[in-house]
Amino acid sequence: MELFLHLAWRNLWRNKRRTIISTSSVFFAVLLALIMRSMQNGSYDYMIQSSVGLYLGYIQIHGEGYWEKRSLDQSIEVRSDKLESFTLLPNITHVVPRIEAFALLSKGLSTKIAQIVGIDPSKEDGMTGLAKRIYAGRYLQEKDTGILLGSGLAKSLGLHCGDSVVIYGQGYHGVTAAANVPVIGILKLPIPDLDNMMSYLTLKHAQWLFDATGRMTSVAFMISSQAELENTRSQLKRIAGEHMEVMTWQEMTPELVQSIQADSAGGILMLLILYIVIGFGIFGTIMMMTNERTREFGVLISVGMKRWKLITITVMETILISLLGACAGMIVGIPILWYLYLHPIPLTGEAAAAMYAYGLEPILPFSIAPGIFIAQTMIVFGLAVICAVYPLLIIRKLKPVEALRS
Amino acid sequence: MKRKLLHIIVCVLLFYSFSFAQAALEIIRKADDLMRGKSSFAQITMTIIKPDWQRKMTMKAWSLEPDYSILYISEPARDKGTVTLKRGNEVWNWLPSVRKVIKIPPSMMLQSWMGSDFTNDDLVRASSIVKDYTHTLLGREVYEDYECYKIQLIPKPEAGVVWAKVIAWISVKGFLELKIDYYDEDGLLVKSFLGSIVKSFGDRRLPSHWEMIPHDNPGNKTILDYDELKFNISVNTDFFSLQNMKRVH
Repeated sequence: MELFLHLAWRNLWRNKRRTIISTSSVFFAVLLALIMRSMQNGSYDYMIQSSVGLYLGYIQIHGEGYWEKRSLDQSIEVRSDKLESFTLLPNITHVVPRIEAFALLSKGLSTKIAQIVGIDPSKEDGMTGLAKRIYAGRYLQEKDTGILLGSGLAKSLGLHCGDSVVIYGQGYHGVTAAANVPVIGILKLPIPDLDNMMSYLTLKHAQWLFDATGRMTSVAFMISSQAELENTRSQLKRIAGEHMEVMTWQEMTPELVQSIQADSAGGILMLLILYIVIGFGIFGTIMMMTNERTREFGVLISVGMKRWKLITITVMETILISLLGACAGMIVGIPILWYLYLHPIPLTGEAAAAMYAYGLEPILPFSIAPGIFIAQTMIVFGLAVICAVYPLLIIRKLKPVEALRS
Repeated sequence: MKRKLLHIIVCVLLFYSFSFAQAALEIIRKADDLMRGKSSFAQITMTIIKPDWQRKMTMKAWSLEPDYSILYISEPARDKGTVTLKRGNEVWNWLPSVRKVIKIPPSMMLQSWMGSDFTNDDLVRASSIVKDYTHTLLGREVYEDYECYKIQLIPKPEAGVVWAKVIAWISVKGFLELKIDYYDEDGLLVKSFLGSIVKSFGDRRLPSHWEMIPHDNPGNKTILDYDELKFNISVNTDFFSLQNMKRVH
């Protein structure tokens, strides 16, 4: 066996140029597949992270049945030491408590329905970057009793900073919630639906308004990466206690999951096309190589070389070539992807404008999840090995007389 | 001869069904007149019962049929002074704590009123059980010791009623509405409105205890107890104005 390997290795370097051509076809294939997949996965992760980072978070805890009924009556009491204990979990980067309810906002004769969210100003800003969205007035502070409004909502009510607005709705257990509050800031929220709906109070103020001291409707969590989702969810489930529902973003926004799946299906199709191109590229070089060597094979068989030995050596050559190419591809790919991961490609033009509109940085991010390297290298390596079947078939059926004449 | 006989039978049948419908309409009309009158004043205790909490409110209600009513909340303290005014299809609220009148927008009409099992829409709609339905007398039945007419009400297509079918039990003696069942398009019982504890209010005898039971929300119930009820009081439309809603008490 060692002899075969030795022979195969020597064969490779007998014709350096040929070997280098085949190796580089595998090398470029690996590199291309790596970059493509890394870009796709990177943008899905980015899409998920930025979508859930806008409001939902990766995971939320609610009172049992809250997600369906959306009522303050399903709110929960979470003591501050419990909130603290959540932050201590590994992978959790943000813990954001909220109290959310629908209410009417009224100024003069116009009345609009709005989502009132009671927030912890600094925690909320840490997760969603809410303070950056202020475009008039200022952001909430801990002791404020004013309100922040989405710009669409403010416009439809004709409100400006410094005006006051009446909130009227139903609090905890059906009590009347009514208050006259000053507008201290106007937010430009990226999604029109949010911009026309959202208004923010401090958590304490909202709890007072809804007669729900110490209560909240949800606690949202950001985690370090999508990969830790299930793991973190089960940890939270254990800590949260009874009568709580722990939901992931997939359960809360199935629409987002679907749009990512649709996009991912397109990506996989592109990847398949790439594999086909790559496969034929490798196949082409191997076919050429085999045809070039028909005479050599003919001579060897006529002088008494066993066909199976010849086949073994040729297959080993192909494997070695693929291995060389794949390793080289990975070695070159890792620093390139690492660089792109740290310096995502900035987008310009219409795509950038669309992303800006959603409040995202217009970039094309890359992923460096180890899974990508392993999977792509294995797939390309597999393709190359499949191509090795060709010389095998040729040698099996080779007629030495014809081969010598060719 | 045979044909003539058939003719007579058909006529008799038609007459019978017609007179049944007529009888049913008459019963409903009597019951409705008894309940409403031209105008009324009531003092009501409302108890909202949810699976894990309950709440009691007292209120005063003035109404001028068919378009006007005012509800003034006198307890609990947090809600005291809140007034709901219904004028035609519109609902307005007066909030004394912020001194402001708010018109309830159409999108909020299906929201619960004061946390009860009634919606704002229930306050406004109160479609006429006389005019908006076709009535059929299904027979007689004993309900809670009262001999009752059991009447089926099917909404007229143009009435804009959300129910597909309503069944009412009205006592033979006194024409009291004792039980009303509301069904949706799928034939499911959605809610029941039950009257009991018959009392004298002035010259009328009426159920004073009403329970509204939403069957799609088990464990929930809203109870109305009439502590006082007067009919044909002297109010006119001016009483039901945006200005006056700030003054009633």
